[in-house]
Amino acid sequence: MRAYDFAAPRSVRSALDKADAGSAYLAGGTTLVDLMKLEVMTPSRVVDINRLPLRGVSLDREGLHIGALDRMSDVAEHRLVRTHYPVISRALELGASPQLRNMASIGGNLLQRSRCGYFRDLSTPCNKREPGSGCTALEGQNRTHAILGTSDACVATHPSDLAVALIALDAAVHLNGSGGPRTVPLADFYLLPGQTPHLENTLRPGELITGITVPALRWAVNSTYLKIRDRASYEFGLTSAAVALNVRGTTIVEARVAVGGVGTRPWRLHAVEHALAGRPLTAATYEQAAEHATDGARPLRHNAFKIPLLRRTLVRALTELGDAR
Amino acid sequence: MTTTSPVGAEIDRVEGRAKVTGAARYAADQRVNGKAYGYLVQSTIGLGSISSMNTAQALAAPGVIAVYSPFNPLKLYARQGDSAERYVPLQDDKVRFRGQIIGLVVAESFEQARDAAALVRTQYREEGHPRTSVAAAAPGTTVPSDAVGYPGPPSKNTVLAPGVASIDDALRDSAVTVESTFYQDPQNHCAMEPHATIAEWRDGRLTVYVGAQGPQQYAAALAGRLGVESDRVHVVSPYVGGGFGGKYKVWNDALVTAAAARDLGRPVKLVVSREQAFILNGHRPALQQTVKLGASHDGVLNAVWHETDSEDSVVGYCPNLPAEVTRALYKTPNLHFDQRQVTLDLPPISSMRAPWATPGAFALETAMDELAVKTGVDPLTLRLRNYATTSPETGRPWSSKHLDECYRVGAERFGWADRSPVPGTRVDGEWLVGMGMASGMLSATRAPASARVRFRDDGTVTVASAISDLGTGATTMLAIVAADALGVSLKTVSAELGDSALPPGVPAIGSIVTGSTVPAVQAAARDAITALITLAVQDAASPFHGKNSTDVHYQEGRLEADGRSVSFAQLLRAVGNPAVEAIATTAPGAETTRYAMDSFAAHFCEVRVNRYTGEPRVSRFTTVVDVGRVVNAKALRSQLVGGIIFGIGNALLEVNAIEDNGRLANSSLADYLVPVNADIPAIDTHWLDYPDTVFSEFGSRGMGELTTVGSSAAVGNAVYNATGIRIRDLPITLDKLIA
Repeated sequence: MRAYDFAAPRSVRSALDKADAGSAYLAGGTTLVDLMKLEVMTPSRVVDINRLPLRGVSLDREGLHIGALDRMSDVAEHRLVRTHYPVISRALELGASPQLRNMASIGGNLLQRSRCGYFRDLSTPCNKREPGSGCTALEGQNRTHAILGTSDACVATHPSDLAVALIALDAAVHLNGSGGPRTVPLADFYLLPGQTPHLENTLRPGELITGITVPALRWAVNSTYLKIRDRASYEFGLTSAAVALNVRGTTIVEARVAVGGVGTRPWRLHAVEHALAGRPLTAATYEQAAEHATDGARPLRHNAFKIPLLRRTLVRALTELGDAR
Repeated sequence: MTTTSPVGAEIDRVEGRAKVTGAARYAADQRVNGKAYGYLVQSTIGLGSISSMNTAQALAAPGVIAVYSPFNPLKLYARQGDSAERYVPLQDDKVRFRGQIIGLVVAESFEQARDAAALVRTQYREEGHPRTSVAAAAPGTTVPSDAVGYPGPPSKNTVLAPGVASIDDALRDSAVTVESTFYQDPQNHCAMEPHATIAEWRDGRLTVYVGAQGPQQYAAALAGRLGVESDRVHVVSPYVGGGFGGKYKVWNDALVTAAAARDLGRPVKLVVSREQAFILNGHRPALQQTVKLGASHDGVLNAVWHETDSEDSVVGYCPNLPAEVTRALYKTPNLHFDQRQVTLDLPPISSMRAPWATPGAFALETAMDELAVKTGVDPLTLRLRNYATTSPETGRPWSSKHLDECYRVGAERFGWADRSPVPGTRVDGEWLVGMGMASGMLSATRAPASARVRFRDDGTVTVASAISDLGTGATTMLAIVAADALGVSLKTVSAELGDSALPPGVPAIGSIVTGSTVPAVQAAARDAITALITLAVQDAASPFHGKNSTDVHYQEGRLEADGRSVSFAQLLRAVGNPAVEAIATTAPGAETTRYAMDSFAAHFCEVRVNRYTGEPRVSRFTTVVDVGRVVNAKALRSQLVGGIIFGIGNALLEVNAIEDNGRLANSSLADYLVPVNADIPAIDTHWLDYPDTVFSEFGSRGMGELTTVGSSAAVGNAVYNATGIRIRDLPITLDKLIA
């Protein structure tokens, strides 16, 4: 760990004043501290934002509002979230461990760094950690890596389950920085790796996530998150699916579908949504729609199984949601 | 009032309170004043040499005391055969494997040492390509028969029935044959307690606080490499947070710590990081093995053939002999095995919980399941049909064997009769349900052992031996056996272990601690009673002075003669002796050459495999064992359950993949998956009660590793029954089941 300055401001204004391109905000610390110990992240200043008034879950006509500093566990078990957006509760509860969920913040969850083993191992090249050094995962152990949105510079998956659920729900992130507050749809927040995998989102230097808003969506009550992994708990997903269905009678009126564990960013599947809309709640519908899930997928040496697995994950999630009605 | 013997009861571990309150001091918790902290520097190439190391920046960093490297080496000696690794660290510029220790930074704090280590800059010359593939190097060379350090059974053998010319003939003449090849990548111990060492020298004597599976064996090995006499090294290891074979030998991290403490003249503490432990402290070697079975149409074995090619690291240390089970589990007129190794440029290998039998049984018991499918014979019936009552290799009978009852009782408890022989036919919602079974077997060994039993004038008894408690319950075992032998209550007995200064104890390897130590404790108890009576009749201040020693009787902590009864504490106080003690040594006898001795298990497993996404989940597990007499039911169950969890991890999750450059890809707890609670169902264990009085008078055989053997095969066989898919490459992950 490199030496760093430390600040613990009490206001957003003060936090923004203390932040710059070389600083890092500290919330739950569940990613940052680990990566600092490994010297994967070496901020010159750590700004502890836990005293900032960025907490609170509420629901209004606009939708659901969540503070950036709300803890994963608090949001997961919040009555409003559980009732109106079960996909969010479930995505949170399937992530990490109870101890980590008690510490980790919502803003931090959206900004968590890659779980690619090469990203964390300083003895191996990694373009995300050290731009231009190369991507070891391309030819290395890549069973858990991405099949969608990859480039020859990076094939790491985006690790957040929450972000997958939020992308499906058209959520937006509220930001604040030296240029003032702004709101960005989450779909536009994350960047594809391209040739610049070290740039993961559109945050400007020193900019802070202050909260998120999930638009009102009445039929999000009929939603779920399914996560497939080798271990039954405490593991990042090989695949995952956030699904919400608006059903009238036995017909799907409208669907929301996003997937995780497969993309270099949380992956919305509009093509699958279109294929589901207007179709009956049948296995054939699910299977035909799921065919579109892997459009453009590029498998690597060890992860070709993710193509059938992703389709099956979707079919299973749709079946569970359809049957549960 | 008669004291009830604690033997066989459900006894809480005597050190349990200290452990759950944090009072128990593991190696890294020991308080040693004035210590400095070490952090290791590791190579980032897999094969070659170091051309230069720039340590100036590290040396200039805050708090740094010293930086050792091949260019500023520590004084260590190359003495073969005792230490874990075959080379001595920091003595030359060679890089033998990726992650090898190439430097040690010592500083005033852990953080300073760690951060300075990151400042060391190393230039390498890569020399050739590391050898990393077992398959590419196979077939290897047969493991030398002296490789295990003692005259063991041959690592290659062929037994043929009269008139049979070759094992190939025997297979060819069989009505039904099965041939299967199995592969597994390295696996790691992942003990809860990472390797930690605190070394302190005083007047040429070294005290080492470390987690050691054999305190005296550890002290001797360390002394050899440091160039001092064994009696100059004192190993203190009262608690060990899991060993599983990974804390038996002295690893190089401990060697450099002890050498640095000597060089600096102050204590040094070094705790390896989780990631380092995966590399530096051994792994279960990569292994490719083939089993061929020949049988009649109704499944009676005619030939058993097992050949193995195991990774042998260029730096050591533990050979792999997976045919350990094959050579004895089934009755067969024709038997052949050949256990080979190939040298790879990978980090050191080590023994890991039933190191030989675990992978061997996975192969054999999977092949037996395949034979059951091919012959249409129920897997349980098939095993009973080939039940061995004498060893097929040596012809010896077993000292005690009730595996057939294990099968029967296990099948009943589990509900084996409900199994469908046709794969994929039991469905529960979106889950395919399958049942599988397998056998487990573990060689039961006794080694010479000593113990001391001491009566004290405060009414307590201490029992001591230089064994180690890896969390297994060895401390409690000592206390139980002493309480039983002396007829005193358990709470008056305190047990001492984990210290090289105690009477010679066996190391905690090969599940030999209980079997070897119980007779020594019993003998020491008898001798201590004799010493107590001798004192009673000889000391002028004793109420029994002058009596014939045969007239004084010991019972339940009291001496009695002529209607007079005195407790041992009263006697000791009367004569002014603080204590009376005896040390006894016991060893196995000629029975070891006349009998085969093993512990046995029958495993039954139910697995659910998701119809859509293929993930296998164990939903039920029943294991019945035959381990002789049980010392502590609670500790036994804990060991049996732990072994099964190891087997489930072995079958479904654990893999440290080898990269072409020699990097072990999953060397962190994020990337190396051990089972979590959600992976493990309630496990039903049951044990038979047949004291093995041939093995020892007490009749208790070892069992710490037993249930790891065969449990992974039971899982794999259940996966087959659920899906009709046979996976021979471990671990059995969902990608292999949706292909």
